[in-house]
Amino acid sequence: MPAITTSDPLAVLLPRIASGDRAAMRQLYDATSAKLFGVCLRILSDREESEDVLQEVYLTIWRRADRFDAGRASVMAWISTIARNRAIDRLRARGPLAYADPVDDLQIEDEAPGAEALLQSAQDGAALGRCLSELDDRTQAAIRTAFFEGVTYEALARRLDAPLGTVKSWIRRGLLKLKGCLER
Amino acid sequence: MSDIGPELPEDEALAAEHALGVLTARERAAAEHRMARDPAFAADVQTWRARLAPLTDEIAPVTAPAGLWARIERMLASNDNALGVLRRLRFWRAATVGSLAMTAASLAAVVFLAARPPEIVTQPRAPMGPMMDARLMTDGGQPLFLAAYDPERKSMLVASLVPPGADPDHSHELWLIPSDGKPRSLGLIDPGASKAMPMSEPMAAMATEGASLAVSVEPLGGSKLEGPSGPVAAVGKLSRL
Repeated sequence: MPAITTSDPLAVLLPRIASGDRAAMRQLYDATSAKLFGVCLRILSDREESEDVLQEVYLTIWRRADRFDAGRASVMAWISTIARNRAIDRLRARGPLAYADPVDDLQIEDEAPGAEALLQSAQDGAALGRCLSELDDRTQAAIRTAFFEGVTYEALARRLDAPLGTVKSWIRRGLLKLKGCLER
Repeated sequence: MSDIGPELPEDEALAAEHALGVLTARERAAAEHRMARDPAFAADVQTWRARLAPLTDEIAPVTAPAGLWARIERMLASNDNALGVLRRLRFWRAATVGSLAMTAASLAAVVFLAARPPEIVTQPRAPMGPMMDARLMTDGGQPLFLAAYDPERKSMLVASLVPPGADPDHSHELWLIPSDGKPRSLGLIDPGASKAMPMSEPMAAMATEGASLAVSVEPLGGSKLEGPSGPVAAVGKLSRL
């Protein structure tokens, strides 16, 4: 078995979780639940629904920990993706044009993300941030809104007050540029 | 200028859009189906998810409610192998909680059935065999179908978690794959529907613990072949409740 790199301190927990170690699961929960709750709330803007989704996300992690591939993604990236997907599924269940009201009254945690987690993701994040900033403002805004709010093209077009085809084209071209920039 | 210039190739654009999260419920379900049958597409989606994941760093953490870990832990307990027979049942209930918004109605019958096994497990083994259930998942771990075998009625109860109206150009066909490895069709299930599929005596005898269930995506009306002709969207194994 390859040595688990220290760059992802959470990666050591996954094999333990896969073997049914609840203490490891608790550690992962303590280290990541605020982040994932933030992700769910950002998309759903509803505490109760976000709690339900978060519960489902951790049960998914518990069941699927054996599928985690440290070579592909960091633990945080993997579980954040699960949280986003489940929150978007829940958002879609409200209807095709549903999007949440802007978040304003949420209690934001003072505590910054853990230093290790920051360090680990800083490099990837910096590259993505730099590449996003190379896009024109409206394309960047469209991609960011899509990512953070989890809305459909149709809802996005309403939000940005632009035709559907145009928004789609902005995003598709923007994603191509993003890819080119990240691969440089 | 972003109004001119090339776009991503269609397939990769769809993968990127699925990763970004701009697709409708129906398109999302179609994309999940495709991931299950098209490894190149699935790899594109994963690559795009990894590319975009650093954006979540910008989302501020919010402390989760105090009681939530306790709720989760209770469900972990029931998912623990050591607890044996009740494991699958409680686990299933746990999983259905999150899907209720979309599937409450369609799951009612299955959940009702799932609520019965404590009587069954405390009784001497019934001659007709044990009650069993299965969760049919995509490669990505998303449950798409739930099934329960009812030995008393010799039928398979199945609930589709695919959004109603999704994938109107195909039929979804449920297969039982017993230890001989040969798939037997149990019938078709519409997206979002739940139904009981009656089974013949010999077929019912093959519904044993560890037998696989799979759903394939077929031309309308189902596979014309003896086995599945289309890609398999989700698989699971029968295990005792």
